[in-house]
Parts: sequence; structure tokens; C-alpha cells
Amino acid sequence: MTMPRLEAKGLSKRFGGLQAVGGVDLQLHAGKLLGVIGPNGAGKSTLINLLTGHLKPSTGTVVIDGKDMTGARPWRIAHAGVARTFQIVKPFRGMTVLDNVTVGALFGPGGGRTVAAARRTALESLDRVGLAARADLPPAELSVADARRLELAKALALQPRVLLLDEVLAGLRPVEIDPALELIDSLRKDGLALLMVEHVMHAIAAVSDEVLVLHHGEVLTTGRAEAVLSDSRVIEAYLGTRYAARAAAAQARRKA
Amino acid sequence: MRRFLPWLGMLAALLAGLGLQTQLYAGQERTASTVLMFVGLAVAWNLIGGYAGYACFGQVGFFGLGGYAAAVLMIHLHLWFWLALPLAALIAGVFAVAIGAPLLRLKGHYFAVATLGVAEGLRELTTNLPDLTGGGAGITIPTVGSDAPTRWLGNDGFYLLFLLLAIGTVVVAVAVSASRAGYALRAIHQDEDAAAAVGVNTTVAKTLVFGVSAALTGAVGAAYAFQQVTIFPERLFDVDITVLMVVMVILGGSGTVIGPVLGAVAVAFISEWLRQNYATVHTLLLGGLIIVAVVMLPQGFTNYLADAVRTRRFSLLDNVRRYRL
Repeated sequence: MTMPRLEAKGLSKRFGGLQAVGGVDLQLHAGKLLGVIGPNGAGKSTLINLLTGHLKPSTGTVVIDGKDMTGARPWRIAHAGVARTFQIVKPFRGMTVLDNVTVGALFGPGGGRTVAAARRTALESLDRVGLAARADLPPAELSVADARRLELAKALALQPRVLLLDEVLAGLRPVEIDPALELIDSLRKDGLALLMVEHVMHAIAAVSDEVLVLHHGEVLTTGRAEAVLSDSRVIEAYLGTRYAARAAAAQARRKA
Repeated sequence: MRRFLPWLGMLAALLAGLGLQTQLYAGQERTASTVLMFVGLAVAWNLIGGYAGYACFGQVGFFGLGGYAAAVLMIHLHLWFWLALPLAALIAGVFAVAIGAPLLRLKGHYFAVATLGVAEGLRELTTNLPDLTGGGAGITIPTVGSDAPTRWLGNDGFYLLFLLLAIGTVVVAVAVSASRAGYALRAIHQDEDAAAAVGVNTTVAKTLVFGVSAALTGAVGAAYAFQQVTIFPERLFDVDITVLMVVMVILGGSGTVIGPVLGAVAVAFISEWLRQNYATVHTLLLGGLIIVAVVMLPQGFTNYLADAVRTRRFSLLDNVRRYRL
């Protein structure tokens, strides 16, 4: 077994009396995608914030490339090669699309580059997400899908080894989802270690090597997508006990 | 060619400033010096308030600190003015970095109020250290005779000094704007979490620019103190100076190099003109003009112009609507 690019052990976060994330273990490996699903409020975004240093864990450790980075500030995590997108897109308004992405290229792990070199890197990552034609627009003039692409391009400009995607498909039309999945798949083929939080189940099923289900901040189950998505506990967590009972009854009838 | 444009512009400004000086008589020269002083102050405030988006309402604290530092160094240590000025800038800059470490964790109004408090605190401190600063009675820098570390520069000398300081701050602003630092600060202004996520060390970036902004403000304060000869805490820590800096930057266009320059020249000249022609109601008229300008151009003149040229919509009413005022 190769060393994981990023590993979390017993990661927990309490907000006062609320246990947002409790004892999560996970590993991200090069060329693999871990899907993270769970109902609203399950702690998916909190988990990403813990991994990237935007929140400090109450207990547990975050290890990046074998180095303990627990509680490190977000830019140190970024310099260690971990990039992320935000669920609610965070463009730098008042800067062009190209300048938005240039920031990532300037301050990424290979930082210290000149502005001119960073702009070339930024153009490459805009090209990769299909946004090169809109490089000179302000982010306010982008569509929802393009704003998501910009969020991804900013992360890619860091030239990361680990990429954490927080609902990059949210708000996309069905026809926009497939190209986005192709892009994510190509990133995996490039050898990135990926984590993807998502609500679109067929998308998660299509690209995940493994799926982790969060419920009330704890890991409900992990495994291959097909197995996890038909697990009665997962159906229960999403849809409630009554629906789960009906689904189980239906399954029993089919078997009989 | 585009890279050298700002530097050519500054060379032109220097020559224009020198040319203008030959055309002015004494009273006009003093007014022009004040305008140039405010150009320096506005451009310096823009670094922290405009680029980084941290509205510092205690900027006059660095102005007063620089002024008093220069005066104390010249009086008590008999330092040459040309040594006291950079030292005063250094003191203001180091002080800003020291208070910035805790204060820059605050955002928005909280940062504004905290810095306002720091400036008031400095004024009180200056008033209550009479042995060092002369207290409320003021302190006089010796400018003539064998007692004087540096002879007073005269109207021509101070005009030149403020011209060089103004151009110097603009040089710093151009360097910051076009560099990595400029990208970091603009990103911090828009979204600090997102900036940190792409690797910007937000703490270092905003603390350093706070220091640079304060140092430039302190240098201008030192020059002002020497020009005034006798300085008082009420004058050097006058909150109106902060207000003027903020107004000049907002009206001219924050986060741009040229905006604060235009804002400073416009506001300083209009203020002076109103004072001379409508002495009794000059503040009222200036306040009214500022309100109208902020309503019509909430993003500042240069940002409005850039937007208007790009979208080819020049209507001011459209502009008001776009910013939903």
C-alpha cells in the first residue's frame, strides 16, 4: 500500500454542544476519488474545512504526504499541495477571471513566480476547464456553471496534488454535468488524489472509487458506490425510516 | 511599453510639478503644497483601505506619530531633518505592524473603530507626556540659528519636499499594484478565506501593507511637522485628516493607483476654493458635494470610468441604479 497523499485520523469538530464532525477517518490516494455523501447538515463541508485548515479540529490529526499538518493555517495546507473549491463560490469580484486564477498560480506550492509566468499558468488552467474565452470578464458576468468552472480553475492553478471538491456540480443543468464529470475523471487520471462532496448520486456513482457516507458528523459506512447506495442505513439516513421500511419491503417482495 | 507607462507618467508629473512651481506666488504655493501632502496621504491610505479593504479610521495616528517622532528626534537628539524623516517613517511603520498583529484580526467596522481608538489614544498620550512632547502647549522645532539641526526649508523647499513625497508614495503604490503583493491584497479584500485557500499568507500580507501604509503616512507627517515648526496634538492627531483621506480615496476610486491622486487633488482644491469664496458655509457645501458624489459614484470616479468605457454605458443614473442606492 502506498502512502496516502492525505490522511485524517479521528477527526472531530465541536461547535459548543453540537458535534459537527465526530471521529472521521479517511485516506486520499493518488489517482483515486473518494466520494463523500450525506444528508444536509451531515458535516460534509465542515470536514473539508477541517482538512484545509479553515477550521481547527477539536481532536484528531491531518497528515499530508506523511507530515502532520493538524491545525496548520489554510495557506500552509495550500503550499503542501492541497487545493479546494468552496460550496458557495468565492470569486474575487472586481478582478477579471484571469486575475482570479492568477492569484492561485502566484501563491501556490511553486510560488515565487513572476506575475507573467503565473498568468500563463492561469491561462492553462482556464483552458482546461473551458473558460479561456471568458478570461477578461468580471466574475459577476459568469453563469452558474462558469462560476463553478472558475472555482475549479482557481484550485487547479495551484497545481495541487490533492483536490477537495465541495459540490462542484450544484446548480448545473443535466447537460452540463457530464462534461464536468469528464474533467474530474481526467484529473484523476493525471494522478491527483480527489475528494468530492456531492448530492448528485449518479454522478458520485459514476466517478467514485470509494464512497464515504456521513450522517450526524460520523462515518455511517464506506465502500464501493453500488454497495453503499443500496445500503438500507444510507437510505434511512437520507429519506427517513418509513421510506427505508417500504424500500426493504419492496426488495423482499422482489426476492420472493 | 505598457510596463513603462506609469514611470513615464510619474516623470511627467515631476516635471509638471516643477514647472507649476515657477508659475505660483507664495500663497498659491502653500496651497499647492497642502494638495500634494494630501495626495501622499490618500495614496498611502489606499494601500490598506483600498487594496486590502481594511478601512483604517486611525490613519491620522500614524501622521501624528511621524510628526512628533521627527520633532522629538530633532529637538532632543538634534538629528538632521533628513535623518529624522526616514526614522519617523520607520517608527510609524513598526508601530503599525505591532498593533496590526492583533487589530488586523478584526474586520469591517470593528477594525475601523479599533484603529480610531488607537489614534485617539496616541493623541492623549502625546498630550500627557509634556517632558517629551511639550504636551497640550505644543512643541517648537528650532529652525534658525546654531540651535537648528536643519534650517527651515522655506515655501519653495517644502513644495518640493511634498512633491517628492507624493511621487514617492505613488511609486510605492504602482510597485504594490503590479506585483504579487497587489494580487494578494485584492484577493484578501474580496474574500480572505478564498485567498488563504489559494496559498496567500493573509496575515503577513495585510500586516506588511499596514506597516508600509503607516510608514508613508508617518513620513508625510514628519514633513508637515517641520513645515508647521510648532506642532500641537490637536492639529497632528486631527480626526478630520483621516476623514479627508478616506473621502479622497472613495471619491477618486479605491484600489486603483490614479484614483486617490485625482480624489485628493479634486477634494483639496474644491475645499480650498469653497473656503475662500464661501467662508461661512464652506464645510456645509463641501459635505453636500461629498454626499452627492458618493450617491452618484459609489465606486469612485476611476472605477466608474473604467466600467463605463468597458460596458459603453455612461449614464450616471444607470450607475446609481446598478449600485442600488
